[in-house]
Amino acid sequence: MLKSIILKEWLKTRWYLIFAAIVTIAYSAFLMLRMHRAIDLKGAAHIWEVMLLRDTIFINSLSVLPLLVGLVLALMQFYPEMQRKCLKLTLHLPFSRMQTTLAMLLYGLLALVLCFAMSFILMRLSMQTILPPELIKHVLLSSLPWFTAGIAAYLLGAWVILEPTWKRRIAYILLSALLLRVFFVSDTPEAYNQFMPWLALLTLLCASLSWLSVHRFIDGQQD
Amino acid sequence: MKTFSKIYLGFLTLAMLLWAMPWAINFALSRPGRSPFVMYSPLIKDFILYSHDETNGLKRHDTQGNTYTEAQADSLLPTFYVRQLVTDGRWPDTLLGRHVTPHEVQRTNFSFRSNAADVNAIGVELYMLQEAMSGRVEMELPSDVLRFTPNGLEFIDMASNTVDAEKSQRFTETLKAKGFAFPPRHIASNPSTRKDYDNGMLLLDAQNQLFHLKQLRGRPYARHVELPEGLEPRQLFVTEFRDRQLLGLLCDAENTLWALRANDYTLHRTGITRFDPQRDNISIVGNMFDWTVRISTPQTERWLAIDATSLQLIDTLTISPNRGFHMPGLCFGSPTSPHLRPRWR
Repeated sequence: MLKSIILKEWLKTRWYLIFAAIVTIAYSAFLMLRMHRAIDLKGAAHIWEVMLLRDTIFINSLSVLPLLVGLVLALMQFYPEMQRKCLKLTLHLPFSRMQTTLAMLLYGLLALVLCFAMSFILMRLSMQTILPPELIKHVLLSSLPWFTAGIAAYLLGAWVILEPTWKRRIAYILLSALLLRVFFVSDTPEAYNQFMPWLALLTLLCASLSWLSVHRFIDGQQD
Repeated sequence: MKTFSKIYLGFLTLAMLLWAMPWAINFALSRPGRSPFVMYSPLIKDFILYSHDETNGLKRHDTQGNTYTEAQADSLLPTFYVRQLVTDGRWPDTLLGRHVTPHEVQRTNFSFRSNAADVNAIGVELYMLQEAMSGRVEMELPSDVLRFTPNGLEFIDMASNTVDAEKSQRFTETLKAKGFAFPPRHIASNPSTRKDYDNGMLLLDAQNQLFHLKQLRGRPYARHVELPEGLEPRQLFVTEFRDRQLLGLLCDAENTLWALRANDYTLHRTGITRFDPQRDNISIVGNMFDWTVRISTPQTERWLAIDATSLQLIDTLTISPNRGFHMPGLCFGSPTSPHLRPRWR
């Protein structure tokens, strides 16, 4: 049954996931090419100096992309379920409702992690020849909250979309917006290092919120 | 699961309310208070305060309540307003019984600033050691950076991203020969092209010993600095003031600031106490007669006057600026640290 659920989710989101992976990887590649180009133009020393003395990491424009990718994935995966009332059918499969919900969320989470990991690895490999490990670590650790925000956006998006009533949905949207703001409070590189393990845990726990919406759907809550 | 979800939703809602509501209220209601600008005048042996008055605008006065005009204040702070006094033709022949030229004043004037946010900054553990004897007037940044390892230091050439083994070995051996224990606990330097000369690095080694490291024509210069009995350095600052009298400043474990003289490498205890570099901001405006020191925390501002020769405390002034209305709440940032985490403030 788990395989069938995953296949169903894949059929629903495959084109978007391929598109999202291409966009994320292509944008990361563009940022890396831009860094290489700057080195060709001004020399590696200039780039190192700017990174060390002005705390620049050259990939700041990547910050909101994972968030958008996560949010749109939630939309692509769960909006059809609600609009066509497919969720009712899904929840009547001979599989525990909670396991069905978790399987759907797990699929989305793994798809996002895979997509973000490819971007992360691409940046890591691309910087290997031009920057020392200390600066590579600095850049990658600085981008970690953005990718975590993408996962949080997906889980919060799923929670909002699965909610059957608009009154609650609006309240959830406001709360989600505030929660996602936490990931963008500071643009100082590595500012989230100490807070990151807690933020990651809080993000993963957001998966439990969708169960509330599903439960309200099962209870027949309507506008 | 449903109960857990409900509890978690309640927790998130409460946390976000405690964050957003106080922020919105503070944003709407609080008005930032203006702190006066203060300088110590050696002529009247008192602080002169430049404070903003709602009705009269800028007001110049001392702690006794005497008010001054702009021209009078210029004359009372001759080392600070030296250019204005020279332009007006009001530069005195002598200052405090001493013949002083404007050039001498400008050469000995300095300013130093350290913010807690900079001290607590998240730095990449790569450092720049500039050439201190390049023979050029303009300062240049080096073509390599250095990293400290448990066994020595490594210079990495920026263009090729490779370690310069020969140079690394030369500097490591020099430091080891002076008794340096790797890795250092604290490293201070001012890599910049906007300074007159380079004083290199101050290093606190693994055994809490203080060292000075410079690069002179590509070769290492290292010197062990004797610490006075009982002095436990905590924070180091390299200074590159125009008069070249000081090599740096050092804050000890008891939050007292020490000055390291450049000519004989001796450390002198200053009258600047109760300064925690990780929590307080400090600014020093110095001249040949005295230093005006401002130590500020979010709650208070302490102004100290320090004698430039003996480095002892002359006078103090404490101001509690009116910060206006502030509703406490949950926040993530801090004015003293770039590290984000939940804080109640």
